[in-house]
Formats: sequence, structure tokens, C-alpha cells
Amino acid sequence: MRIAMITWEYPPRIVGGIARHCEGLAKALSKQGHEIHIFTLDFPGAPDYEEDEGIRIYRTRSEIGHPNFLTWVLLFNHFIEKRMAGASRLVNFDVLHVHDWLTAPCSIGFKHFIKKPLVFTAHSTEHGRSGLHIPDSFTIDGLEWWSTYEANKIIVASGSMKGEVCGHFNVPDSKVDIIPNGIDASKYEGSVDKGAVRSRFGIQPHEKLILCVGRLVPQKGIEYLIHAVPIVVRRRPEAKFIVVGDGWYRDHLEWIANATGHRWRITFTGFIPDWDLVQLTKSADMLVVPSIYEPFGIVALEGMAAGVPVVATQVGGLTEFIQHDRTGVLAYPRNPESIAWGIDYVLSNQGHADWLVKNARDIVQKAYSWEAIAKRTARLYEEVIEGKR
Amino acid sequence: MSFTPPPQVPEEFRVLSMMHNIGAISPERSLSAEELAQWTGMDVATVKSYLQKLREGGYVEFLQMAGAEKYIVTRIGIMKVLTLYS
Repeated sequence: MRIAMITWEYPPRIVGGIARHCEGLAKALSKQGHEIHIFTLDFPGAPDYEEDEGIRIYRTRSEIGHPNFLTWVLLFNHFIEKRMAGASRLVNFDVLHVHDWLTAPCSIGFKHFIKKPLVFTAHSTEHGRSGLHIPDSFTIDGLEWWSTYEANKIIVASGSMKGEVCGHFNVPDSKVDIIPNGIDASKYEGSVDKGAVRSRFGIQPHEKLILCVGRLVPQKGIEYLIHAVPIVVRRRPEAKFIVVGDGWYRDHLEWIANATGHRWRITFTGFIPDWDLVQLTKSADMLVVPSIYEPFGIVALEGMAAGVPVVATQVGGLTEFIQHDRTGVLAYPRNPESIAWGIDYVLSNQGHADWLVKNARDIVQKAYSWEAIAKRTARLYEEVIEGKR
Repeated sequence: MSFTPPPQVPEEFRVLSMMHNIGAISPERSLSAEELAQWTGMDVATVKSYLQKLREGGYVEFLQMAGAEKYIVTRIGIMKVLTLYS
């Protein structure tokens, strides 16, 4: 099949999980013999066009900009659509696959232009991310609804996300398929010099490294982990915390960290390179995912693949691949005491933590390889192309 | 334990976001503090103070373009802006 995948983020333009999702899916589909064309936005230093492992990547520069966010979105959609129209003179696409609402306007327009089916992956919803408190949010919510309406088929990564999409947008159950996110477990193979990595991040050999990775935005719940720090260190004075990522909420989180009186135990690294994150994750004693909204939670899956015990909150997709006390530990969301309990529980019994890690790795390898996810996605493409849906 | 209400998006972040949306991510589309003041409706001194803070965080870069002082959003600045929208 010739597949046009449209996404506003694709490496090296990485914001959250969408870029990694698109890259993993595209590479796996390409290995399975499909022709993949990625239409995305430009990024400094990345070429306008390149071929990577057989994938054709078209990075489009918005020739004009505008300070208003939604106007900017419409403008870059226009330029991506022009690029797709140019490519369609040379390539007869079989199916379009758009990821999230940001590139939905160009994808919907292009769907009608080339008269081919459109698949929409809803990675999250505005309603779930931040509620509908401001006019921009209502516009985004409307664009998300439009995407679900125009799509021949919708993909979501978890049962909770399916409930959210069907319930909020009144989409028929049969129109939505659950295909989870995948992971490249090979990235976590091989050994690392944990002592050297930990030392580089200021962690002494006797200290316990508790890692948290994510965009620094409210829905990631990182403030609840920070509020848990004083509770944890009462029993675990050797605990140190590293928060990887950045975002508009960072200043506020650092302010909370200062207010706990334990700021010196908490390191905010900002964004770090992917290879560094892999090494750091493998060198940690635990990964904590304290989200309050999480359609899937790929960072937890990455922790499981890296061989570290995962403590996560009982929200959204996290509850669908983390079995409490079997493949990880679930804590209550928005609850520092519960998060602290989960951390202490894992640190209290190394043998049990090792058992959790072993179970988690088995699950990741069996159910979340990109090869398996790509096969399921390709079957869905075939169905929409054949008009079965 | 007391929780503070979530803050609004910081003002300097709004400047960063606007720079990004206008397209100031490459030298040929860099913007001066005066141009940014026009776009944002802020006074030049305020914009300059925000730009200084953003420079310290590594989110914007200062350039000399044809004798003029200009600014662009860096790669990590772009990634930081995008957290607002995803």
C-alpha cells in the first residue's frame, strides 16, 4: 500500500508521544513492504525532504506565520496540503492517515481531493487535556469532532480513549478500533555503565534514583510527585528525583519543588537527547508516571522495556497495560500519599521489584512490538480501502 | 499540605509562542524586539526583559542581522512552545 501519513510532529520535531508513535509505525510498515510518505512541519536543521529507511519525509515550511495560534495552524495546514497535492501528481496514494487534530484540516481537504479513505488516530482530546474553558479549546474540540466525522475509521490507543471519543463526540462504537502504541524494545538492549550515568546526573552510588519523564504540563501530574517527595524521604532519605522534560509549567513546578524544602533532591534536566534518556532510564531505580490524564502513557511502556519498575497512577491507558503488583504498581492520581506509598513499596523489596520488571518485559515483548502494531494497522487500512467499514 | 491554583501561562512564554507562530525559527525570519513589541502590543522594554529571560533559558537566540539586533526561537524553544499545544 501507498500510505500518506500526516502529522505535525515527526523526529527531530518531538513534543510528546506522537512523533515517536509515527516514526515507530512508519518504520515498521515500511519494513513490511508498504510505501510510506510522511507529511509534516519543518524543523531547524532537518531537510525539507529526505528518505530514511525507505520512508519519504516531506517537511513543509509555513511560508507565512501569524502570532495567533489557530491562525498559524490553518496557515501551516494550507502549505502542507499544497505539498501533498504536489506529491499526489507522482504518487497514487491508497490511504491517508492523520494523527491528531492539528493536521486534520489539510488531511480532510486532501481526502476529498484524491477521493481516498482517511484514517484518524485520536491520540488525546482537548476535552481530556485541558477541558473546554477558553474559546480556542472549543475550536479545537470542534476540529477534533470534524476529524472523527470525516474519518472512515478512527484509531485510539486504549479502551479509556475509545470511551472518551465515543462518548464525547457521539461516534458509533464500531467506527473506533483500539490499537495500542508500540515500542522499539531493541533500543533498550545492551548494558550501560550505570555508575557513570548516575554520576553524570549527580546521583551517588548509595542513593536511589527516582525518574520522571514527560512534558511539563498540568496533565502529567508532576506536581503531585513533587508533593510526595517529603513523604518519601521520611522513610527513604537516600531518595533523589530527576524530572526530564520541559514545558510551560516548568517554572511553577520548580516553585513547588522549592516550597517542599527538598529542592536539592530534585533535578530538572529540561529536554535531553534520546540516547541520554535511554541510558538514564536504564540506570534509574524506578520510573514514576504521576499523570492525571493519560490516553495511553507510552513513557511507562518505555520504562517497562528498559527494565525499571514502574509506579504509575491509575488513569486512562496506564491501567490497561500495567497490572497492579504484577507488571508495575498503580497509585491513586492527584494523591501524593499514594504515590509516595507506591515508591516506598517498590524500594522496600528488591526481589519483588525484579519480579515486576520481568513480568513487565514479557508483556512489552509479546503485545507492544511495532511489528505487531503495524500489522494490525495495515489490516485496518486494507479494510477501509476495500470499503468494508 | 496546600496546593496552589495552577498559574496562567507565563507572559514570556506567550512572547516565545508568538515568535514561533510568526515563523521566527530561522535567521532570515528573525525578529527585533521592536517588531515583537508591535506584534504583541507590549512595550519594547517589557519585550526585551522577556527576551533576556528566554535567552537565559536557551529558548531564544540573539543574532546580529545587517547591523540590527534580532531574535529567533531555538530548537528547544520550539519544543517548549509545542508543549502548550499538545
